[in-house]
Amino acid sequence: MEKKPLIKPRTMSAFKDFICVAPALIFLVVFTYYPICKLVQISFTDWNLINETWQYVGLKNWIWLFNGSGTKYLLNSLKVTAIYTVGELSITLIGGMALALIFNRFNRAFSIMRAVVFVPKYVAMSSAAVVFLWILDKEHGIVNYLFSLVGLPAVDWIGSRGTAMISVLLLTGWRAVGYGMMIYLSAMISISSDYYEAAALDGASAAQRFFKITLPMLSPTTLFLFVTTFLSSMKVFQSVDILTGGGPYRSTEVFVYKIYSYAMVDFRMDRASVMAIAFFILLLVVTASTFKISNKNVHYDS
Amino acid sequence: MKKALAILLTGAMAVTLLGGCSGGGSTGGGKTTTAAATAAATTAAATTAAATTAAAASSDTTAAATEAPAASSQYAVTEPITIQWWHALEDQYSQTVVDVVDEFNKSQDLITVEAVYIGNYSAVNEALVAAHAAGTGLPAITVANGPNLATYAEGGLPENLEPYIADSGYDVDDFAKGMIDACTYQGTRFALPFLISTQTVYYNKDLAKELNVTVPEKFEDMDAFLEATTEFNADGTTKRYGAIIPGWDNNYFETLFQNQGLKLVNDDQISTDLGSEKGIEIVKKIKEWCEKGYIYWASGTNASSIMRQHFIDKEAFSVFHTTSLYDTYVDRCDFEVGMAWLPGGDTKNQEIGGSLLIIPSKNDQATKNAAWQFLMFLCGKDVNMKWADETGYLPTRNSVLKTDEGVEFLERKPEFENIFKNLDIIYPKIQHPGWSQMTSIWKSYMSEIMIEDVDIESKIEDMVEEINEVLEDS
Repeated sequence: MEKKPLIKPRTMSAFKDFICVAPALIFLVVFTYYPICKLVQISFTDWNLINETWQYVGLKNWIWLFNGSGTKYLLNSLKVTAIYTVGELSITLIGGMALALIFNRFNRAFSIMRAVVFVPKYVAMSSAAVVFLWILDKEHGIVNYLFSLVGLPAVDWIGSRGTAMISVLLLTGWRAVGYGMMIYLSAMISISSDYYEAAALDGASAAQRFFKITLPMLSPTTLFLFVTTFLSSMKVFQSVDILTGGGPYRSTEVFVYKIYSYAMVDFRMDRASVMAIAFFILLLVVTASTFKISNKNVHYDS
Repeated sequence: MKKALAILLTGAMAVTLLGGCSGGGSTGGGKTTTAAATAAATTAAATTAAATTAAAASSDTTAAATEAPAASSQYAVTEPITIQWWHALEDQYSQTVVDVVDEFNKSQDLITVEAVYIGNYSAVNEALVAAHAAGTGLPAITVANGPNLATYAEGGLPENLEPYIADSGYDVDDFAKGMIDACTYQGTRFALPFLISTQTVYYNKDLAKELNVTVPEKFEDMDAFLEATTEFNADGTTKRYGAIIPGWDNNYFETLFQNQGLKLVNDDQISTDLGSEKGIEIVKKIKEWCEKGYIYWASGTNASSIMRQHFIDKEAFSVFHTTSLYDTYVDRCDFEVGMAWLPGGDTKNQEIGGSLLIIPSKNDQATKNAAWQFLMFLCGKDVNMKWADETGYLPTRNSVLKTDEGVEFLERKPEFENIFKNLDIIYPKIQHPGWSQMTSIWKSYMSEIMIEDVDIESKIEDMVEEINEVLEDS
């Protein structure tokens, strides 16, 4: 009689698989899941980052955020982050698509132009933000100088509530639009020319070809860009930190900046934690919804 | 199965995202790394300078040497040790830093100090708090912004310096009273004054003579002063502001309130007086000046540079700023720069700005002992005048003002005489654990009121509600 192995082959195989992913899993647990658990714990304490000791305060921080003075900050950060996200998504998706359509020619001149549009992505955000500080300066900036040449009044781009967010979007959009263009361009190349030839034979106009062929065929790319841009724009921090510092009067105080200022400026780790968890749940819900909706509307057939 | 996988993937993506959201920590770390790189450069420069200036090294006995504890003391340094000093002195002061550190390193055999430039005070604060929370990577000694001392002391971050002072017999009575008070929290000294400044009004002295005006001593005389010094274009816009007030930093406008008898934090420690009739009246008056075009309320990330440029370009008669920038203004202006006391009221008190020196308490005793030796040296009489002379900050010790160097300093910078005469009415800033949060709210509302068209009273009401909540919960 054949001797039964101590461990079933299937179990052994699963164990080997687990061993292979274990190093990555350990990193994930230590650097991602453990901090999240810690964050949840801190949200029920009064820890201020400096103190060695802390006490559990029950739901105090949660009540502060959802039914206290923190609600005002939560709603403001939600509004500001949503405005920023819509802005960056529009620039990346619509701007990127428009540029891709424009630069969808493959000769030397267009290669150079594509490179010029894409290069800002490689410029460090901190350096770009400092340059934009001066470009948009009310008194000595080149934008207002150009405005003055055509008789327009000077605009306080960074210091005014109405234009501060536009300034941040100008900076981040300038860096992101080339990336959107490149992603769309690579997707456009992969669309079979058969579709366009058939449409041409049927007498379809350029607009019809775009809306009936190009746009649907690019939907997986659009979903990819939407999700990645959405997540990155919800996390925006550096451009806001350098360009506006969350101001003027909280008009650019995005979620991550608010969390940062609670933790590192005010030392209120308790409040920062509760806000971070609220942010996490929000992202979880929105991302899950996006995938749910996209299942019905994205065409993967190319 | 597919649905479960989608949910799992979504969850994993969002979770990874949150990891990235812990921006505070990672940012702090990033800055520390940058600072460490800068530090390496600074240290390298220090080494080079040490080689080239060896001959010039002072052979004088230093404060550290003369006031070192006996070898039997638990605060004595007995073994060779290398320690780090975190500072916020920018590139223009790097040679002074190199010279001072080099002088200390040569003055004794056991302690080697490495100076590390971290960034501005905010960067130092972030790096320090992160290191304290982590319990690792702490400097032996660091600069700290005065208003943070209360929060630090509450959390046990700085070492109590009383035993060190007692053991070494270090002369702390020589420091100006306000300065040493700024280093004290609830009766215990946790710091010593290092680079101290105060607020001042820089003004165009040539233009003042031409217009025959002086900076008023009283807040209520500001109307006439601003009217006389403001100049308008033909279209009614302001050509030259009477004054620019830095809205980005409450240090420059808070004494306008306090000297009118207003308490920013009431005695109960949980409320502010900013919403009182007097508080509203002061805000309305400043707003009136802004609306008339007399005053420019400078706020935003680049406001400091913009304000300076206005003054240099003669587009402002005066600016409220820190005494530590006297040399910068004098060097860059093609007119004579005057320095005046801020307009007062019932009192004419001012506040201490700049930095203190602290020793993080989590370090081991040997590191703390070495740090104390270096701290005594940095704040000692021998180098006090060097700091004042080469950085633009104020001398912190009363005795140095009477020395030959002190007299010579005033001959070269006579504008400082007014400051020195009034050292005793320069007080510490408010020490309250909620102060940082409170001032963030205050600055934000003040800028909104001064720049936008809003209902002042309702905005102040909202502001006071927020501030009181913060004070109560801190």
